Amino acid sequence: MRYKDYDTIDFLSDEFFIQWVKMPDKNNRHFWEKWMQQHPEKRETVLEAASIIRSVKYAHTIELSDEMYVESFETIIKAGNQKSGNKPEIESWLSFYPLRNIAAIAILCFCGWMVHYHMIEGVEPVKPVVAEEITVFRSVPPGKRSVITLADSSRVYLNSGSEIEYPKAFNQGDRWVRLKGEAFFEVRKNGYPFSVFARNTEIKVLGTSFNVKEAQANLSIALLTGKVQVNDQKGNQVRLNPAEMLEIEGDGKFSKTGFDPLEVAGWKDKVLVFRSASFEEVRTKIENWYGVDLKLDGKLSENWKYSGMYTDENLENVLRGICITSGLRYKIANRNITIFNPK
Amino acid sequence: MKPEKKEMLSASHLVLPLNESESLLKFESKTDEEVWNAFDRGNELAFNYIYRVHVKAMFRYGSQITCDSGLIKDCVQNIFIQLRDKRGSLNSVSHIKGYLFKSLQREIIRKLRKETKLGRDGMDQKETYFPITLSHESILIQREKDEEIRQEVRNALKALTVRQRQAILLLYEEGMSYKEIADIMEFSEVKSARKIIYRGLATLKGILKKT
Repeated sequence: MRYKDYDTIDFLSDEFFIQWVKMPDKNNRHFWEKWMQQHPEKRETVLEAASIIRSVKYAHTIELSDEMYVESFETIIKAGNQKSGNKPEIESWLSFYPLRNIAAIAILCFCGWMVHYHMIEGVEPVKPVVAEEITVFRSVPPGKRSVITLADSSRVYLNSGSEIEYPKAFNQGDRWVRLKGEAFFEVRKNGYPFSVFARNTEIKVLGTSFNVKEAQANLSIALLTGKVQVNDQKGNQVRLNPAEMLEIEGDGKFSKTGFDPLEVAGWKDKVLVFRSASFEEVRTKIENWYGVDLKLDGKLSENWKYSGMYTDENLENVLRGICITSGLRYKIANRNITIFNPK
Repeated sequence: MKPEKKEMLSASHLVLPLNESESLLKFESKTDEEVWNAFDRGNELAFNYIYRVHVKAMFRYGSQITCDSGLIKDCVQNIFIQLRDKRGSLNSVSHIKGYLFKSLQREIIRKLRKETKLGRDGMDQKETYFPITLSHESILIQREKDEEIRQEVRNALKALTVRQRQAILLLYEEGMSYKEIADIMEFSEVKSARKIIYRGLATLKGILKKT
C-alpha cells in the first residue's frame, strides 16, 4: 500500500512516519514535507495521526534525581573495583581523593590570584578587557524575505517586515542575535551556545533549527531539530524537544503544543500556507508576504475559513485561488487590493 | 609513586567524566554495536557514555512496573555491575537501550516476586503496569471540553490490555522499532509486535473518532 492510500491507523503504525514525528531529522523531514505538499488532501489525516502519536504518554513516571544519578554511578564503579580484587588501597584512596583535589584546586586558585593581583594588575592598573563589539543591523521590508549567513556560518532566514542585530564577528563563546519579527534559524554546532533575544526572552541553543515569531504581544518558538532552552524575563526556564512549540503571551503565560512544520516554517522555502485561517489571518499573511494593503469590501459569513497552500506563487494566483473557492472577487490597484463579496 | 599515579589517572577518569562531554563527543556518532564492543573491551568512556545516555530512561521505564524507587535503583545498579563484571566475554548487542530495558524488566520482576512471593504470576496479571495517558497538550483533547467525552477517553484507555499499553508506549514514548519491541516483549516474531500494536490502536481509534 502507498502512503496516499493510508488512513489514520496506517500512519499510526508506520515506523518511518513515527520516526518523523518523534525524532525528525533532515532525511525524514525532507521526505514528509515534500510528500505533504504533493498530497494536501492528506494533511488533516497526517496531522491527526501526528498529534495522537505525540499525545501518548506514560501516565506517571519517577525520574532519577541528579543526586541518585551520581550516587548510582559511584556505586557501580566501586562494586567493580572491589570484586576484581584490586587491592584495598584504591578504596581508601578513592574516598580520600576528592579532599585532596579540592585542596589542590584551592592552592592553585590562591597562587593564581596572587600572581594576578601582584604582577598583572599591579603593573597595568586599568584596562578594559573587552574590545568594543561591532554589530550589524539588517532589516527586510514587507513583501521581501532574505537569508543571512553569520560569522560562524549559521544561517538566518529573515521574514518580511523583520529585523535583526548581531555582532559582526563572534568572539569566542559569544554568539547572539537580537530579533524583531520572525526568523528561522539554522544554528551551526561549534561547542559554544547561541542565543536569540526576542521580546525579553532568551532562546539558548547549541546547534539546531527553529522558528521564532513575534506577533502582536505574543512570541512563539517552534523547534524542528536539536534542543533549545528558553529563559523568560521572570526567570522561568522551559526546554523544548523537536516538534514542540512554545507560545508566550504578552502577560508571560506560556503553553507548549505540537505544530505543523510546513505551516510554521514553510515561509523560508517560499511556501505560503493557510490552514483553516480566518479572514484576519489571511489578510495579515498576504499583506506581509507581498507587501500590499488588503481590505474587505462587504461582509463574510462569521465562520468563513480558508485552507490552501502556494509554493513560490505570485499574488494574483493566490488571490484567484482564495476567491474561486469562496465565491469572492478581487481588484488590484497598485499596492491596494480589495476583496469583495458579490452576493 | 609511579603505580599510584597510574591509578589516579584511571580513577579520576571514572568519577569525574560525568560532567564532561568527552564520552559524548567520542561515541555519539558510533553505532550501538561499536559502543558495546568498546565497553566489552573495557573502555571506560564507553561505559560512561552508555550510563549517561540510558540510565534516566531505564529508571523511567522501571517506574512503569513498580513505584518503589529504591528497588528500581538497586536493579539498575545490579545490571550495570553484572555487565561490568562480564566485560571481555559479553555477547554482542545491536540495540543497547532495548537490551537494557529487557534486562531491567526481568530484574525488577524477579525481585518483586522474591519480595512478595508472587510465585508464578507473570506480568500479564499485573493490571497496574504501564499506565498510559493521552496528554492534555494534544489538540484532540483540547477540543473536547465535555466531561462526558473525557470519561470515554479514560474508559477506552482502560480497555487496553497491559501488553498493548506496553507495546504502544515503547513505540511512541520510547521511539522503538517493531523489532526492538518484539525483543523486549519476548515475542519470537516481529509480526506479533505489529499485531498487538494494531489491536491497541484500533481500540484507541474508536474513541478518537467519537471526539
